[in-house]
Amino acid sequence: MKFKTPIKLAWLRFTSCSGCQLMFVNCESSLADLAKIVVLDTFPLVSSASGKSEPVDIALVEGSVSTPSEIERLLSIRRNSHLLVAIGACALTGGVNTLVKGERSRSLAAIYGDQGADWDTFSPQPVHHFVRVDGRIPGCPPERHELLESIGAILQGGWRGHQVMPVCMECRSNENRCLLTEDHAPCLGPVTAAGCNALCPGLGVPCEGCRGRVPEANRDELFNLLIEAGLSEQEIRHRLERFGDALYDQADR
Amino acid sequence: MTRLIVDPLTRVEGHGRVELLLEGDRLHDVKVRLLESPRLFEALVVGRRYDEVPDLICRICAICSAVHKLTSLQALEKAMDVVVPPMAVALRELLLLGGHIQSHALHLFCLILPDLRDSTDVVALLSQQDPLAKAGLDLKAFGNRIQQVAGGRIIHPINPVFSGVAYFPERGDLDDLAAELTNWQRDWPDFAKNFSQAGNYPESSRVLGNAVATGQADAFSLTGEHLWHEKTAAVPVSDYAGLLDERSRKDSHAKDAAGEAGPFLTGALARARLAAIRGLSVTMTEDNLGIHENNIAQVREIEWALQRAGQLLDLLLSADRAEPLQALPKAPRAGVGTAAVEAPRGLLVHHYVVDEWGTVVAADIVTPTSINQRVMAAQIMVDLVDEQDHQRLMTVAERIVRAYDPCISCAVHLVPVAASSASARILDH
Repeated sequence: MKFKTPIKLAWLRFTSCSGCQLMFVNCESSLADLAKIVVLDTFPLVSSASGKSEPVDIALVEGSVSTPSEIERLLSIRRNSHLLVAIGACALTGGVNTLVKGERSRSLAAIYGDQGADWDTFSPQPVHHFVRVDGRIPGCPPERHELLESIGAILQGGWRGHQVMPVCMECRSNENRCLLTEDHAPCLGPVTAAGCNALCPGLGVPCEGCRGRVPEANRDELFNLLIEAGLSEQEIRHRLERFGDALYDQADR
Repeated sequence: MTRLIVDPLTRVEGHGRVELLLEGDRLHDVKVRLLESPRLFEALVVGRRYDEVPDLICRICAICSAVHKLTSLQALEKAMDVVVPPMAVALRELLLLGGHIQSHALHLFCLILPDLRDSTDVVALLSQQDPLAKAGLDLKAFGNRIQQVAGGRIIHPINPVFSGVAYFPERGDLDDLAAELTNWQRDWPDFAKNFSQAGNYPESSRVLGNAVATGQADAFSLTGEHLWHEKTAAVPVSDYAGLLDERSRKDSHAKDAAGEAGPFLTGALARARLAAIRGLSVTMTEDNLGIHENNIAQVREIEWALQRAGQLLDLLLSADRAEPLQALPKAPRAGVGTAAVEAPRGLLVHHYVVDEWGTVVAADIVTPTSINQRVMAAQIMVDLVDEQDHQRLMTVAERIVRAYDPCISCAVHLVPVAASSASARILDH
């Protein structure tokens, strides 16, 4: 469907760093143009307006879900929005929030003292565990252009589509030096979804996999290459799990 | 008894709420609740290798991602006795200043300006072609360009790595920054004037809390080896726990674990006050807007940051590009390291214990908003104790919290903070 402008946009944030919504505000030079086609209905970081009563056109959901009240808010926005778009690693896979190991109440008690053990929270979950997700914008953080293109495509009645090639392809087309095979650096480019124009490897910094797994990633082959690069098995696992190692694309597409 | 609730607090980072309890017509009790879900960063870095921790820890907060990464690197480098080469130190400081300008511009133009214009948000201001909103976003974009050039990415920067930086930016990019900087140094004082008019802010009484900040003895700076305090002698950053006593106590459900030198105030206004005490008046304000003076202190800091960034760009542009960017690699060693850096919204402390294989075995992070927690509620109490209009109570309480530029994601401590009329009187001694 095509939307009438201005479209009503709600931004919901759960367990996360606020980086995805900061990326929205970081579209500084495009915000004046966005202001012509978008009305902020609910967006607490940016706006004191709070619609809440009527349905919105697009709900952007950032962060993983880790408390019962977050589930309630998520279900409520799903009911009251035409399209729900999950944005960022935390919403898509749980993100770095999932790295806490062991019994959660013990970690809570260790950091917050006795009172922490009673808090009503559970292991952070991706948004699609609870509601239907109409679109996804990956990355930690996502790139500005992806956010703008996504809103633009929705306005035209479509979706901008998902990347199906790995970061390596972008390195190839930019003629970057291969950090993995030439420098034996722990680069996750071969198993990570492209779309960032190989930003980090282009600057000589190994990919940390923040955009999630590319479909049909050959993890075994990467594992062997990283062993050859001198990493221990544990170091490799730590690196692969940083933004969730699950093949969420396949499970849910 | 009437209960007024502001939830969610808007135009602040993170999820928080304010509860105002009235007895009769009079404000009796204030609670500021930080409602973020716990993310347990201090637990998730345990068992991870030293060089992986800074990449994870910056995900605590996007707005403060550069300062979190840099503070954690500094603390880990101290723990393992690594000395970072001067070029890397300069590039890291430039990144820090970019983040500072970006965050202050975000706060002043996107979060505060709508109050001054009686509007809901900056996007609405842009659709009315507000020139100040546009100029503010341009400044914010400039802060982000500094972060992009010095850090490689505007959120979760990638250039700072353990023992130095990964690369030296392109000369052309540094030239562009230097040119744009000259324009901002010229134009900023004109834009800045708009924030200093007293009529723009609600009346506010004396600012509560004892200022605490890091910084150098002889120059205004965002980094330092000491914690300066208004009422007591400076202490080395490694003694932060004794001064701040931020930890929840084991023997009780203590929510009030602040050190004896508290309650503390941290942020731009605290930095300005402490700098003035050290005879450094670079960010001095006239101090007559109560807690809203924090906005003016941020305005002055932008001016300082533009100047300091200019010095660093001169240094980097005249630098020998063959100079080392990283310390020579050496084997990990066991150690303890603490670093303190001024985040845009106040003092940030990272503390790590590392074992002989370089694995982090313990971590402690003290964030500015958790330091400010106690005074926020008390300030609302003393500023609004005579206010009877319900709508105004809620609006002004929200503006008081906003003035601290809180970052609730950073604070992650779910501790509710309360101020009753009695405790506010004690705080206001």
